Amino acid sequence: MAAADSPSTALLRRDLCSRAIRLAGKMRADVVDLLDAYVEQQGLDASASVAAVEGVPLAAVERWDEQTGTQRLLENLAAYRAFRTLLAQMLEEQREQLGEADAGLGRALAAVLLQVSAFAYHLEELLRLESRGIPGEEGDGPAPPPRLSLFEQKLRGLGVLRELAQWAVRSVRDLRQLAKPSPATGTASGLAESP
Amino acid sequence: GSLEDPQNLKCVTHNLHKMLCTWDISSRGRHGQTDFCYTTDDFTSQVCFKTKERRVEIPIPEGSITVTTKSSGTDFATKEFVIHQKDVSFVPVTPHILSLMPDFPTSTLTLKWKDNGSVFPYGLDALWQIQILRKEAMEVVTQVTYYSKLIHEDNILLWNWTSDMPLECTSHYVKIRCYINATQFVGPKGWSDWSPAEVIPGKDTEPGGSGVFPLDPVVAVGSDLTFCCVHEEDQRITNMTYGSKSYTMMQLSSRSHAIRVLNASVSNSSGTNVVCRLENGLEGSVVFVGYAPDIPQNLSCETSNFMMIKCTWKPGRSSGLYGKRRTKYSLFERTSGKNVSCEVNEVNRDHFCGFPVLPDQKTYDFILGVSNPIGQAQSSLLVDITQRVHPKTPEKLTVIGNNSTSIQLRWFINGSFAEIRLLCQIEISSSHSERKLHNVFMPGRKSSTYTAQLNALHPDTKYQLRVRCSAADHFWRWSDWSRGVEQTTS
Repeated sequence: MAAADSPSTALLRRDLCSRAIRLAGKMRADVVDLLDAYVEQQGLDASASVAAVEGVPLAAVERWDEQTGTQRLLENLAAYRAFRTLLAQMLEEQREQLGEADAGLGRALAAVLLQVSAFAYHLEELLRLESRGIPGEEGDGPAPPPRLSLFEQKLRGLGVLRELAQWAVRSVRDLRQLAKPSPATGTASGLAESP
Repeated sequence: GSLEDPQNLKCVTHNLHKMLCTWDISSRGRHGQTDFCYTTDDFTSQVCFKTKERRVEIPIPEGSITVTTKSSGTDFATKEFVIHQKDVSFVPVTPHILSLMPDFPTSTLTLKWKDNGSVFPYGLDALWQIQILRKEAMEVVTQVTYYSKLIHEDNILLWNWTSDMPLECTSHYVKIRCYINATQFVGPKGWSDWSPAEVIPGKDTEPGGSGVFPLDPVVAVGSDLTFCCVHEEDQRITNMTYGSKSYTMMQLSSRSHAIRVLNASVSNSSGTNVVCRLENGLEGSVVFVGYAPDIPQNLSCETSNFMMIKCTWKPGRSSGLYGKRRTKYSLFERTSGKNVSCEVNEVNRDHFCGFPVLPDQKTYDFILGVSNPIGQAQSSLLVDITQRVHPKTPEKLTVIGNNSTSIQLRWFINGSFAEIRLLCQIEISSSHSERKLHNVFMPGRKSSTYTAQLNALHPDTKYQLRVRCSAADHFWRWSDWSRGVEQTTS
């Protein structure tokens, strides 16, 4: 059982959570816009079924309610680190394939990558707040993907953006859960205690 | 003659020297032995063989020979035949394919075979029929006749064929046969047998060979394209689309279906998707349809500082290809052999390239090379760079002295013009006199300041002054005007 929060820690956590929630909301909106632009620009079928993207934890989780706060943060962090790697890969592929053509999509992709990086930083801050060790980066995130054909790259990009949009929704729920005051002390619950 | 006599004596030659004679014998006499004798052309001697084979190889007669056969069946039956050259048929040996090599990126098969020319006299015409077959049913796709001349040596012949469909789509087979136009030979002439078929297996014969082919090709606008979807045996294919349009599928094999797209139009920057929808998944390829580069127009080169030469040109039609498939430019200078690759932004349409001014070289023989995955082009320009000077804008125009009727000016031009004379033009304007242009010649210098004096001015008059410069001896272009300065005479 973690020691009860000091008021300042609880306040800081709530502030971090609310800022992260706002960022996740903005990120979600931007990802949805990016997804539309991506589907159109890549000539894809918006309804195409895409296999799960290797290396990205699925947003859908069973028994979501039973997760501890630390689990939530660690899963979120793993996911957004993976997204950071995958989006950087997509950006590199975009530049290689399109050069200066469709620079708009490249800029939108870069903007979302920035948001994902910022969100990962927020998650690390929240973990630090709980004096939780931040899991190391090495070996984290997806292994470099095998050499994909262009169509496979397009489909993977679609899968990454769809999953990121799902994660943004989940992250808001997770953070709201973290920000909830714990019934006993009326202050934001310590991470280990949340139901 | 009795039933046991040799019947149907036939002689065939494969090399115009020797002929292979064969005959039939009734079943009773089949295991006996035959004495086969023939008289030589000049009837001087008789050559005999004992054989159980019912075939004998003997020289081809110039005219005709008499053959006597004695079969050793129950009683020695003797049969005589007269063989004329005109009775001997000439059928070349079945050709032997040395190799059949696929080049998948270009869907090209390269066939190599030996022409066996050494056994034939010099100069005979040979015809080779080459058959390409495809699919599990080995349907003939094309049959081509290839001509060659035999030169009394064994020559290796080579023939390329480009398929209208990726070689991965299904197995391709090649067979070949030959006909030799031995004009001197009077007997009947025929085609050889077909060689055994050589095969290039398609991906539809490989486990796990699924996918859409060709994979991520770059093709010219207007091309007719064939795409195939190779899938597992048990996978049902729903449809194949090119871009947003669904196409009728042709079945190549139990694991391969194809569509044919005619007169492909230019794709967008991220390419046109070719999607194969299967019951439980998608396979796809991305095709980039664009134009070969146009010949660059209005190639022009100049220097603004005798340190760097700047070439510009009009690229012509956009290729429609981007990123790593974009059109690339390089500037090659023949005299020095120096080559420079140019960084060109394919989206904004101003194209230029920098080439260093080389020591002790005035004349430059440029070739601007342009290429993309679909084609290439080039333009050339021979230029004396001292006749293509376009100085930079004069800077720091300053009044360094004046009196009632004259003003001294100083300015700076970046660049080394020591090899030429400069012509600078000073624009003089004042409120009560017309704009005047004052030309002044001066020796060029290296990154230096220049001065000029304006005389015959009006006292107590405010003048606006600015300067521009160019090469004096071979005018090419004025620099831009410098920023203006104002000065009132005293």
